[in-house]
Amino acid sequence: MSPAAARQAMPLAPPDPPETRADPSLHQKVLIRDVDFFYGTFQALKNITMPLHDKRVTAFIGPSGCGKSTLIRVLNRMYELYPGQRATGEVIVDGENILAPGVDLNLLRARIGMVFQKPTPFPMSIYDNVAFGIRLYERLPHHELDDRVESALRRAALWDEVKDKLRQSGLGLSGGQQQRLCIARAIAVQPEILLLDEPASALDPISTQRIEELIAELKADYCIAIVTHNMQQAARSSDHTAFMYLGELIEFDETERIFTRPKQKHTEDYITGRFG
Amino acid sequence: MASEHIARGYDEELRKLNNTIAEMGGLAENQLGTAIEAVMTRDTELAARVVEGDVKVDQLERELDNLAIRLLALRQPVARDLREIFSALKIGSDLERIGDYAANVAKRSIALSQTPAVRPVYALPRMAHLAQVLIKDVLDGYVQRDADKAYSVWMRDAELDEMYSSLFRELLTYMMEDPRSIGSCTHLLFMAKNIERIGDHATNIAENLYYLVNGTPLEEVRPKGDVSSLEVIRSDRAPQ
Repeated sequence: MSPAAARQAMPLAPPDPPETRADPSLHQKVLIRDVDFFYGTFQALKNITMPLHDKRVTAFIGPSGCGKSTLIRVLNRMYELYPGQRATGEVIVDGENILAPGVDLNLLRARIGMVFQKPTPFPMSIYDNVAFGIRLYERLPHHELDDRVESALRRAALWDEVKDKLRQSGLGLSGGQQQRLCIARAIAVQPEILLLDEPASALDPISTQRIEELIAELKADYCIAIVTHNMQQAARSSDHTAFMYLGELIEFDETERIFTRPKQKHTEDYITGRFG
Repeated sequence: MASEHIARGYDEELRKLNNTIAEMGGLAENQLGTAIEAVMTRDTELAARVVEGDVKVDQLERELDNLAIRLLALRQPVARDLREIFSALKIGSDLERIGDYAANVAKRSIALSQTPAVRPVYALPRMAHLAQVLIKDVLDGYVQRDADKAYSVWMRDAELDEMYSSLFRELLTYMMEDPRSIGSCTHLLFMAKNIERIGDHATNIAENLYYLVNGTPLEEVRPKGDVSSLEVIRSDRAPQ
């Protein structure tokens, strides 16, 4: 049997080494190296190695339970909030291993912002929602704080809709607006990396498009990782795509390649809807 | 087709797309065969039937287009599925052209049958037979998703080109020898050209089949056997 045929025949082929074309404009912001992750004794991630590029969007796709959300939670050590969860390996951000002991988690999470599937506005005013994070890390004079809040709301494409009601509760906004408020809150602290865990899955199509448009604009400044169940969204929004299955990285490549001629049959079967 | 989709309706629609291509292909191949039969038997009624039959090929192409548009809009295909639909659209338009050329041969055969028979007409069935083999092989390759068959058809078109070139020279000589045959020979020349073009469409289909299977285009330079377009016609070559 030829090597290619052997790979086809294996139900779970090992991924090709992560590769990206030689694009000089690509700066490798994050290198995930040999990462394993455990929920107690259950291993949810198996030896993941892949890069995330700066000013690019990387999408994570795969069926439920494949480990994609787990992986982005490793990136800001969100898992440490829960006992019994641990990661091994390295996540190197600009040369520094953020999984190493001694890393200041508060500072880490300021550098790496996160937005979740369900909008999570705090029960406070729109203004305070955005100012909340800034106040944690910095003491700014009022007018500067105002500027930062406005700038974050503008970048999140929400300013025009809320500028006259900044003192009203963030909970009064629509789902799509709440999600953009959460993105504004995340970028207000000027992070370097944005992690989006199914940011549009609870939104209607118009709000979804707004979020996607926002991602396209934000990638000029950030390294963005997005987990999505929506294949078209991954295809539209990302530059690179990682396909994961049962805790393994099956394939990582340019998004265009993944959605036109993926190397692995497993990837092809998943994106064309041939297995669940 | 590869393994089945979770949504069974999707497989059903792709199957229909494939069946329509197969039906169009069979029809186009048959049209060519019947057109040549009409030429050789000087049967104008048969020729008229081929001309009318082209409507059916056109109708199938419209059905194919509608099916493909529907699949693109409703299924948002990617990867292999996208190539299936993209190739079907392109192959459909090649088959439609093949149908047109067959109808054209039939049309000319009606005019040709009004004139005295000329000898080189006997080269036509040989050309048409090879064109039919190319269509049949490429369609078999399509049904089996066989890129090797695609490659073989792609290479064999040169043979058809050579046959055309040689018939072109034969007809020229014939016309020079006997200017009264110019009318019939010109019809024959156009018929031969139509058949040669059918071969080109078979190679287009082969290219699309290759792309469908492999996801990459066939990039080699294809051998060309038709040099008639480079031929310089000089009257001093006519026998005295």
